[in-house]
Amino acid sequence: MSAASETISVHGAQLSRRGVLAAGGALVVGFAFARPSGANAAGTTLNPALSTSWLEIHPDNQVLIRTGKCDFGQSSIYTAYRQIVAEELDLPFEAVTTVVTGDTDRTPDGGGTFDLLGGGVPNLRKVAAYTREALLELASQRLGVAKDKLTIQDGVVSGSGKHISYGELVKDHDFKLTIPVKGELTSIFGLAVSGDPPLKPVSEYTIVGKSFKNSVVVSKVTAKETWVTDVKLPGMLHARTIHPKTLGSTLVAAGQLDKGKFPGAQLVVKGNLVAVVSPSEWEAIQASRQVAATTQWSDWKGLPGTTGLFDHLRNKADWKAVAVNHSKPSSGNVPLAMAAAVKKHIASYEVPYLKHAPIGPTMAVADVRPDGLVTVHSHTQNPQALRGEIALMLGIPIEKVVIRTYSGAGHYGRSNGGNAGAEDEAVLLSKELGKPVRVQWMRADDMQWSTQSSAAFSDISIGLDAKGRIVAYESDHFMPAMQDDRPIGAVLAGLPTMPAPSDKGQGLNTIANNVSDKWVYDAVPNLDERAHGTWQVGQRESPVAVGLRNHSMRTPVQFQQNFPREAAISEAAALAGADPLQFRIDHAKEERLKHVLERLREESGWEKRSSPNSRAASGEALRGQGVSVMLRSGSYWACACQITVTPSTGKIAVGKITMVVDPGIVINPLQLKRQVEGGTMMGVSEALYEEVSFDQGGITDQDWRSYPILKMGDIPEVKVVLIHRPEVGGYGQGSEGANALAAPAIAAAFFDATGKAARRLPLKSDYVLGLLKA
Amino acid sequence: MVTINVNGKQREVATAANTPLLYVLRNELGVMSPQFGCGLAQCGACSVLLDGKEVRACVTPVSMAAGKEVTTVEGLPARWARQKNLPAVTAEKTLHPVQEAWIEQQTPLCGFCQNGMMIKATELLEQTPKPSDADIKAAFTTSGPSAHLCRCGSYIAIMDAVRYASELMAKKGGTT
Repeated sequence: MSAASETISVHGAQLSRRGVLAAGGALVVGFAFARPSGANAAGTTLNPALSTSWLEIHPDNQVLIRTGKCDFGQSSIYTAYRQIVAEELDLPFEAVTTVVTGDTDRTPDGGGTFDLLGGGVPNLRKVAAYTREALLELASQRLGVAKDKLTIQDGVVSGSGKHISYGELVKDHDFKLTIPVKGELTSIFGLAVSGDPPLKPVSEYTIVGKSFKNSVVVSKVTAKETWVTDVKLPGMLHARTIHPKTLGSTLVAAGQLDKGKFPGAQLVVKGNLVAVVSPSEWEAIQASRQVAATTQWSDWKGLPGTTGLFDHLRNKADWKAVAVNHSKPSSGNVPLAMAAAVKKHIASYEVPYLKHAPIGPTMAVADVRPDGLVTVHSHTQNPQALRGEIALMLGIPIEKVVIRTYSGAGHYGRSNGGNAGAEDEAVLLSKELGKPVRVQWMRADDMQWSTQSSAAFSDISIGLDAKGRIVAYESDHFMPAMQDDRPIGAVLAGLPTMPAPSDKGQGLNTIANNVSDKWVYDAVPNLDERAHGTWQVGQRESPVAVGLRNHSMRTPVQFQQNFPREAAISEAAALAGADPLQFRIDHAKEERLKHVLERLREESGWEKRSSPNSRAASGEALRGQGVSVMLRSGSYWACACQITVTPSTGKIAVGKITMVVDPGIVINPLQLKRQVEGGTMMGVSEALYEEVSFDQGGITDQDWRSYPILKMGDIPEVKVVLIHRPEVGGYGQGSEGANALAAPAIAAAFFDATGKAARRLPLKSDYVLGLLKA
Repeated sequence: MVTINVNGKQREVATAANTPLLYVLRNELGVMSPQFGCGLAQCGACSVLLDGKEVRACVTPVSMAAGKEVTTVEGLPARWARQKNLPAVTAEKTLHPVQEAWIEQQTPLCGFCQNGMMIKATELLEQTPKPSDADIKAAFTTSGPSAHLCRCGSYIAIMDAVRYASELMAKKGGTT
């Protein structure tokens, strides 16, 4: 019997039996484009010959799942994804034995590693739902029982006194389920499963909502994990890149390699890309330093420098190149309401450039073969996009490029558009030398040549009526383009890349800005939130189109907008003489927001009063409390912190932070708690210490002394409160978001303690001392 | 030629004596748990125990390890088994209590720094079996050439795990 004649439609997916096998058997879930000739498929880079599955069910009842996303600390792929698939398939958690991630030749969907829970319906949830329906169909045929008379428990389908396990259903058969997809494989978003298979009702969940451990933790703790740093290939050379003197420099003359001192080393120059390779890593490091010392670069001075940054952004940057975007909730008549306001809070807020600052500098291993096949071993968080970038750079089809991914140092969004920094350099060197090449950036390379989270500033006006209620809220958020995904080695070598962000760019390649911080104070009658975008600083002044390259970093854009909004709301509460926590509740309509704030008040030891704190002084130190809220990807967050300020030193100590999060469905309480704790720590670090320093030529930070981050000795006590609301139905977000709450809450606590408004990050001692003197 | 003892085995090293121990371990001896983080002794990702004391392998020339005992995370189970005089059969199946605690507490996020964190915790608990919170913070912040840095912010999970490991070690007969 032909496969075609056995094909059945299952909610839009195609179930077929490709043959009977002598042994083994499986149900393999693959994909096809929903509309092969439709607009979404036009120009697709999907290789139709790919046989990669989403999910496989084997005769031993074990399930394998695949995802194009990569784990670098969120745990969701190894915990939440397994739970979600097991839940939809009515299998125990342990039945999902294998998770294949990232590799472009072994995973189906691509997309960046963000929004892991996909607004509540990640690809794998739909895949599992389609699969469940297909298994019911097969069981119905095999048992001769109508589908609606069948039930499933622990992978066994039962009805009319008969039963059969998934394993028995697939044993000796070669079933294939083809589910519809849409999208672009090598884009930042990858492929998305389309259609609407019936999802299991949340009320019937038994696996989602429980704490399961992360399987990868065991291999990492027992030194059994293969990290990207551990990849070794036969004949592999170690490389160090000698990056230009400034961001806009071009090569004048590469230094001479001292072959007497470094006999195994070799110098490679391709355009402005200069590198030293050696079979010995230590020789490569030493020889690269020797060559760097005598390499000559043109000079370039195209940046305003750290101290001139905000003057440059406010007064010299071109904010007219792209349209101003207004937020969706903007409505009412702000000018009229503002004119009638009894009191006004008008202020500007500044957020500096921030480094993603992974603990391990970026690195990659590339192997370019004589037949043109390119394999890259990477810790990217979007391997399919990287694949596209490498293919574009070399002018070859993506079928010639394979990206393999491994555990690596977390880098918080820096590679969600493809490259993590070193892959293109490794590919170019391997192609040049005909051997596998491992490029490891040193700490200074990572500080100075990676992208960073953009600086931003905001002007905020809040009008209050006689009763102290907000009658008008107006904000202007200014920020240079946030996402430059050009691989820097390709740029330096003068090879093709995607364009730099511009006024013509589409999607994330535009310099337009948008209002990313979701409005939560629905009771405010007149609202206008505006977002202004511009070019990356230095890009157009640079002969190589490289200035301060930006890239989204944890809670991107929203971090830059939530700090000003929440700090301003706390200051407006003070102007109204109101408790800033109650003030927020009073301006909210959404019950979930009110609830997280009420829980925050109970759990944090909040003192009900207005700011500043009339009893702040306590010996040498001043005490203050602050609050902030955020809505992101369906999760409601509220944060309270208690700090002490030492006026003599300008040092802020954060004593306690309470975080309340309502993500809707809490999939895995244990993992979510750890994610929230971690994000909170990053938030404290960003609030107190972090700021990229640069001069007119480039970034001057080179290590952990010049770019300090939070140390254990300075951590606050953290209390995490998770609110599980299954009735909401969606999975929110936990690994991202938490880092944004601390900064506005700490700024508000500083105001509470001192009566001085801190409107710029970070709250370093010298800034604090200046505020206290003012 | 330098000879060093790595996780209980004598290893001869061919690389030049001034080569940092980190590159010798990773590239020549295949001991992969220490990670390159900064090369400047500023983060702790490369930490190993040298005769029981935490050092930064990225700035320690291999010659300084000559005749000394290097312990990495790969060698923690055997170190514990030796300290507890566990029979060989048991030793093979044993994890160091620090590793058990790191798993139980689900401490790593990305995990890149955790090699050094577990090494530091082992050093601390061998010297101070019942550390106070202040002891733990001091160990990871001021006791070495630099603080041990975690960018993912797992510091609370590390403190939970050190306390848990301390309890485990006490239950299993105290420390040596």
